[in-house]
Amino acid sequence: MTVAAGIGYALIALGPALSIFVSVIARKPFLVLTVLSSTLFWLVSLIVLSGAWRWFLPVKSTASWPYVVLLVTSVGFQEVVRLVFWKLYKKLEEMLDAFADRTSKPRLFLTDKLLIALAGGLGHGVAHAIFFCLSLLTPAFGRATYYVERCSNMPFFLISAIISLGFSIIHTFSMVIAFNGYAEGRKSDQIFVPVIHIIAAIMTLINLVPSGCVVGVPLLGFSTAVTLQYCWVMVLRRLRDNHGRQTNN
Amino acid sequence: MERSVLDSLGLEIVGVMSPVSICMLFVVLLVSGFTPPTTSADHSSSAQVTAATLVYQESPSDPPSQKLAGAILNAAVFVALVAVVTFVLVVLYYYNYTGFLKAYMRFSAFFVLASMGGSILFSLLRRLSLPIDAPSAILLLLNFSAIGVLSVFSPAVPIVLRQSYMVALAIIVAAWFTKLPEWTTWTLLLALAAYDLVAVLCPRGPLRILVDLASSRDEDLPALVYEARPTVANPPSSSSPFPAASVELQPQTLHSNPNPDHTPDPDANPSPSRSSSISNHADHSVLEIDSIAEETHPLVPTEASRSLPESSRSNRTSSEDLEEMFDTTRGIRLGLGDFVFYSVLVGRAAMYDLMTVYACYLAIISGLGCTLILLSVYRHALPALPISITMGVIFYFLTRLLMEPFVVGTSTSLLMF
Repeated sequence: MTVAAGIGYALIALGPALSIFVSVIARKPFLVLTVLSSTLFWLVSLIVLSGAWRWFLPVKSTASWPYVVLLVTSVGFQEVVRLVFWKLYKKLEEMLDAFADRTSKPRLFLTDKLLIALAGGLGHGVAHAIFFCLSLLTPAFGRATYYVERCSNMPFFLISAIISLGFSIIHTFSMVIAFNGYAEGRKSDQIFVPVIHIIAAIMTLINLVPSGCVVGVPLLGFSTAVTLQYCWVMVLRRLRDNHGRQTNN
Repeated sequence: MERSVLDSLGLEIVGVMSPVSICMLFVVLLVSGFTPPTTSADHSSSAQVTAATLVYQESPSDPPSQKLAGAILNAAVFVALVAVVTFVLVVLYYYNYTGFLKAYMRFSAFFVLASMGGSILFSLLRRLSLPIDAPSAILLLLNFSAIGVLSVFSPAVPIVLRQSYMVALAIIVAAWFTKLPEWTTWTLLLALAAYDLVAVLCPRGPLRILVDLASSRDEDLPALVYEARPTVANPPSSSSPFPAASVELQPQTLHSNPNPDHTPDPDANPSPSRSSSISNHADHSVLEIDSIAEETHPLVPTEASRSLPESSRSNRTSSEDLEEMFDTTRGIRLGLGDFVFYSVLVGRAAMYDLMTVYACYLAIISGLGCTLILLSVYRHALPALPISITMGVIFYFLTRLLMEPFVVGTSTSLLMF
């Protein structure tokens, strides 16, 4: 395993995020800034979480309930952070609209709002992939690889890259769903996001069982696919509504 | 379809952030490419005395209190050196020795590119075991440095080239700085951030005087400054340099004599630039050319190279403190020193782990963003180091002490959320 392997793992985890960034985000400087600030936001939330959990780690007992508590509190905290992020975004949107009025440009389009939500989600997803996968990849660039005992079918780096891929997609698009849900006030969207997040996190619990990753990772992939499908349907509906309204006017 | 607000918003900020990011990226690559072969033991044995380690030579076996005291002394001496050099520069600039300053900066840019860049190049070649014969290596190096010197000071060079050489200079200097011992690096960064704050914001601070002097003379800041173009907005490595470059080249030859730099007479410079800027106020790209023509940027390397000749490699740092940012019609300008010290911090973080690198990078960039926002509020030169460096240091230690055990613990048991 050499540099090629390391780059390959990194691309597995970050490939989709990278292509979204290059094709959509990088064209608009404002979205780049949104990605950066959302990444910072996620990092701060992770630091707070790890500060809180620092004193209980590493878990000594073999029981899995401490892990359940850890996952549930972490996901709960991150959903709270998402709400805070939404509040900040609301403020920003008002500022942008005011700015647009001042410079006599049109206010934010629906697509702009969706793009900002996508950038915010991408920041979260990228941060996840970076801190949970990429930062552990350094040894993969060397000559050796690493297997964890519980999941000896694949190298550790490959599994963590695949899991990160799932989570970065979930984070990216659940932010779109959540922002849209908040904006429209649709309860189903608002509830869907934490639920899919906690389900995905619990899927990783299966990895604690010996050879559990054979089951857990595909299930995680499935919940990723569900998120993508949900987001697609929702965005399509909004765009159609929006289009219909414009033509009616 | 109408253009939305989003399309152009934040262009200047990204125009500054992307070269900084590129600079950091290269420094991190250099550091992580070099650190594995040389273990920490090698490091201490090969440590040379530099300007930043005049007082105290750190060795890993010293007790923390001694390291701390020594590192603080080192930082104090270094900052004092920087202050003296800056003061000398201000005096020279005050008495209009711009010709001397310019020549000096040419020399120092050449020195940095050729000798320091050369040694980095050679260790890179050795590390990658690339076969290249000595004459062609030297030829390439000299050509590289010569173009660098030209591009830094001559107006006839495409802005993209100039920007890339700025970033290259910053990378080279920062790569040298990462060789300082650990404790000294941290105290040095903090001390420089504090110095930057004082020098720019105090009424009698040297950098403040320099900036005021430059603006009262209607000249550009006499220092190495990275300019982010507002209209063209071509970050150094961006892929489409040519249209932008050609746009700027032409007005430049039209309006000012091809090489205003070469005229030693300081008064000669302002006049062509002023006339040209008046004549083509309409298009921004032109405005900046004039600024290039003047001897503006040279300051930074100068200081560095002054202290260099003796034993010290690290002195170039001093030059960098001139970095303030300053926003005029020409857009945002960021001193090279900021580039260097940001990259030093990230490079130091890279010696620990990649996780700290990302955290520090985000912290520094967000600090830079905060500074830029403050800049748009206060509208005069601001120090770019304090906020970013403070945030970077805080995030480094938070990540190292709190986050890493947590993240490594959860993700090695394949738990994620």
